Amino acid sequence: MRVRVLLFAVTILVVVCSPVGRRSRGGDHVVGIDPPSALARKVDQLIDAQLIDERAAPLASESAFIRRVTLDLAGRIPTVGELTRFRESERLDKRAELVQSLIDSPDFDFHQRNELDLLLLRRIKRDEPWREYLYEAVRDGRTWDQMFREIMMPDVVKPDDLRPAAYLVSRVDSLDTMTNDSSILWFGVNVACAKCHDHPLVDDWKQSHYYGMASFFKRTFRTRKGTLGERFDGRVKYETTGGESRESQFMFLSGATIQEPELGLDDETLKAYQESIKKAEREDNAEAPPAPKFRPREQLVSLALHDDSGFFAKNIANRLWARMFGRGLVHPLDQIHTENPASHPELLELLADDLHRHGYDLKRLLHAIALTDAYARQMSDNSGRPGDPSLFASALPRALTPYQLALSFRIATSSPNDVRGLNLEDDWPKRRSEFERQTESIANRFEIPDEDFQVSVEEALWMSNNAQVQNDYLNAGSNRLVGYLRQIADDEQLIRSACRSILSREPETEEMESIAAYLNDHHERRDDAIGHIVWALLTSPEFRFNH
Amino acid sequence: MNKKRDDESVNLGLLSRRTALQLAAAGASSLAANMSVVDVLGGEAMADQVRRSGKRVILLWLAGGASQLETWDPKPGRATGGPFAKIRTNLPGVEISELMPKMSTRLGETAIIRSLNTKIADHGTAYELMDTGRVAEPSLKFPHLGALIARELGWLDSQVPDYVTMYTSTEGRREGSAGFLGGRYNPMFLTDSMIPPDIRRLESISDVDHHERSELRRRISDSFTKRFDHPVFDGHNAAYDRVRGLMSSDHLFNIDLEPQSVRDLYGPTQFGQQCLIARRLAEAGVPFVKVARAWWDSHGQNFETHQELCADLDHCMSALLDDLKSRGMLEDTLVITLGEFGRTPKINGSLGRDHFASAWSCTLSGCGIRGGTVYGKTDDDGQTVVDGEMNAGDLFATIFAALGIDPAKEYMVGSRPVPIADFDSTPCREVLA
Repeated sequence: MRVRVLLFAVTILVVVCSPVGRRSRGGDHVVGIDPPSALARKVDQLIDAQLIDERAAPLASESAFIRRVTLDLAGRIPTVGELTRFRESERLDKRAELVQSLIDSPDFDFHQRNELDLLLLRRIKRDEPWREYLYEAVRDGRTWDQMFREIMMPDVVKPDDLRPAAYLVSRVDSLDTMTNDSSILWFGVNVACAKCHDHPLVDDWKQSHYYGMASFFKRTFRTRKGTLGERFDGRVKYETTGGESRESQFMFLSGATIQEPELGLDDETLKAYQESIKKAEREDNAEAPPAPKFRPREQLVSLALHDDSGFFAKNIANRLWARMFGRGLVHPLDQIHTENPASHPELLELLADDLHRHGYDLKRLLHAIALTDAYARQMSDNSGRPGDPSLFASALPRALTPYQLALSFRIATSSPNDVRGLNLEDDWPKRRSEFERQTESIANRFEIPDEDFQVSVEEALWMSNNAQVQNDYLNAGSNRLVGYLRQIADDEQLIRSACRSILSREPETEEMESIAAYLNDHHERRDDAIGHIVWALLTSPEFRFNH
Repeated sequence: MNKKRDDESVNLGLLSRRTALQLAAAGASSLAANMSVVDVLGGEAMADQVRRSGKRVILLWLAGGASQLETWDPKPGRATGGPFAKIRTNLPGVEISELMPKMSTRLGETAIIRSLNTKIADHGTAYELMDTGRVAEPSLKFPHLGALIARELGWLDSQVPDYVTMYTSTEGRREGSAGFLGGRYNPMFLTDSMIPPDIRRLESISDVDHHERSELRRRISDSFTKRFDHPVFDGHNAAYDRVRGLMSSDHLFNIDLEPQSVRDLYGPTQFGQQCLIARRLAEAGVPFVKVARAWWDSHGQNFETHQELCADLDHCMSALLDDLKSRGMLEDTLVITLGEFGRTPKINGSLGRDHFASAWSCTLSGCGIRGGTVYGKTDDDGQTVVDGEMNAGDLFATIFAALGIDPAKEYMVGSRPVPIADFDSTPCREVLA
């Protein structure tokens, strides 16, 4: 029999993170005079400052860089046309030019939409209107705080557009899920352990934080029609480990609270409202009563955006960093608290502060990160001992997301004459949008990678034996890669071409030799052998990961 | 910002855990013996003897919730008893429902547990509870039993599947999840056919070509990992390395290869055939197989439903136990018969029984189990547990103990130690050999 480590409630509120400066919304946004490249330089200074004993890896090759940055900003591997254009460019600032063109590409909007969808809805359900909403929000340049408002209070911000409500609607049946997911996804804080007792390992998190966060969502309900509503009353009650019964406050993670104003309704009206809420929850055609004036979710948004401890900004800054580097400055991503400091605290402050000053423009932050030397380094080679990943001295491999993978399969297995790419064909935005639609069902086959991601054997079996792989990825039509390669008589040209299409690089000598040997051994069935070679390249770890 | 705490003894326990955390964080290999960092490729150096012991589990899953009153804990003659009688068994003084005549003569290797109180009585939540042995926590993806067993008893580079689950009914179908153990321990899920998806080679490629292209894949991959090495690449290769082995295990799913006499033993029902596949898999070293039989959710016509389903269960479970025993496999194979909950003693207006989680039954047979045991007791009407109350955590701790897995073993999930059996759970010594 083991005894759970229980701590007694200590009602001390902890200011968790140092302030990034008191601020008011609007008015002090600096735009234009502070380009992303300036931010990138500051980032590099802060990363380099900690590289005392560690040697930074050299910058990745041109091929490695264009593959990495295209996956990160456009959500797919580069086409052969894009690769060639980049390699042949003689501009001194060609990397910055590439980053700018990707940031401005239609691909960026689709990719950003996919990333935000995986972050916020995680396939709890498939929801096309929600994905459409995200796409429009990204395309129209809506900022992260705006999206936060729209998603948290869809009925207030735009009552006639309830698409962003999917986030709340998909979680409204479980207050626990709503509370935990919201704390983790928007603020980088996992308070689940503080539900039954104060957090056993982290002093910052008390039961009062968990229930404080829960109280903002407690009154949210779903009508039978599927829309969101809000109750007029209701607090979360909980029991401390000491057996004391408490009623939670409306309290944000920082400890800041909101006092609820008097409801100002007579008992009879309140009762009538409560009745009609009950009815609206049960019956298809019942209308919910008008929304109450005091709306807890609105209060949460307001507290979070005016919070000196900066959870809102730090969380998204940390998540974007992790997306680009494979690891957060605070790691794991849901552990922003005093006992788990950032590897580079000043850097996290810098990024969070920059985000805030530029009106939570996520695109700008991604742009700046993509311009840093830290981002452009190669993976650590096998020559030395593995370095400390939290120093960001070399690149870390990251599994492709389901969308990145499915789109990359599509690009890789197309004839380079058919899919030429960004600014190389007339109607690329339309093309890209078609790929997005065509690859979605395949994307749904693949797991969303998390920190402990492993490629599953089902995936390996699927790649090995599924008819779809054979009929689509290894299709020999003239607009597909296998068909294109079959037209190439010269072995070396063929191998080079296959490597460019799939791995976005030239083959190493050793690869050239083993693939040529394979072609030679199967010379009487050259067409089949070409299909095998394409398969073997598509199923290499080099293709499955970004690096 | 460490604050001093007023309870030193609690604090000490905490400190030792923290130390372990720091060790884990620093990548130290000197972790306490029962702690295991969830890192499939890094953490396997502690090659377990257990893993080589050949123990395995077959779970007969009674989806929808079977009635304890029509199986292991009958109450004939009471208002809650229903129309069926109880019958004597090969155990003196032990009686079970007349719907289980074959099992009544075969309780020598089985422990009946009549005192489950798992509290949760809606399908989804109860399913999760009985799949994981604990109440779900939104931020922790706890692995299902099959994934835990696959990890604890399987081989990392196993040539056979290590977690197979069969579920053909559309109602209440659940695939099973490896949770934080990661994709390596995902189940192989059989739902449309009796053979796992993508395990057979397409006709359009010859076996030689299939093999040669996978060797080419390996050479190309090696050329990359020689230059840039990382455990995630090894994991990717490990998954592909298992493909050919798994493909060659496809015969395990083919019961035509069994002698007719054995097929007759299991009978013609789908459940029977799947039980036979389960035996074939277990025999080949697959550590965990789940066979789901649906749909026991008898809100109406409980008695007809159980008449039909119990006949299938009684026959197939008996055949499985007989077969395992005659092959000398039963002492290393734990057969669990379990659902997400039981059914209400009260008979409703549609002659049905509803969901009921406060006093229900399950059985454990074979490996590590003290056969011929009846553990726990419900009151005369079957409404409450009066002796030996057991919750889901205790049941899981008992299952782990029967297999020689320390129920106190902890996984490190991020920065958090999570025990394999829930906090505060205790293995039930009375049913363990």
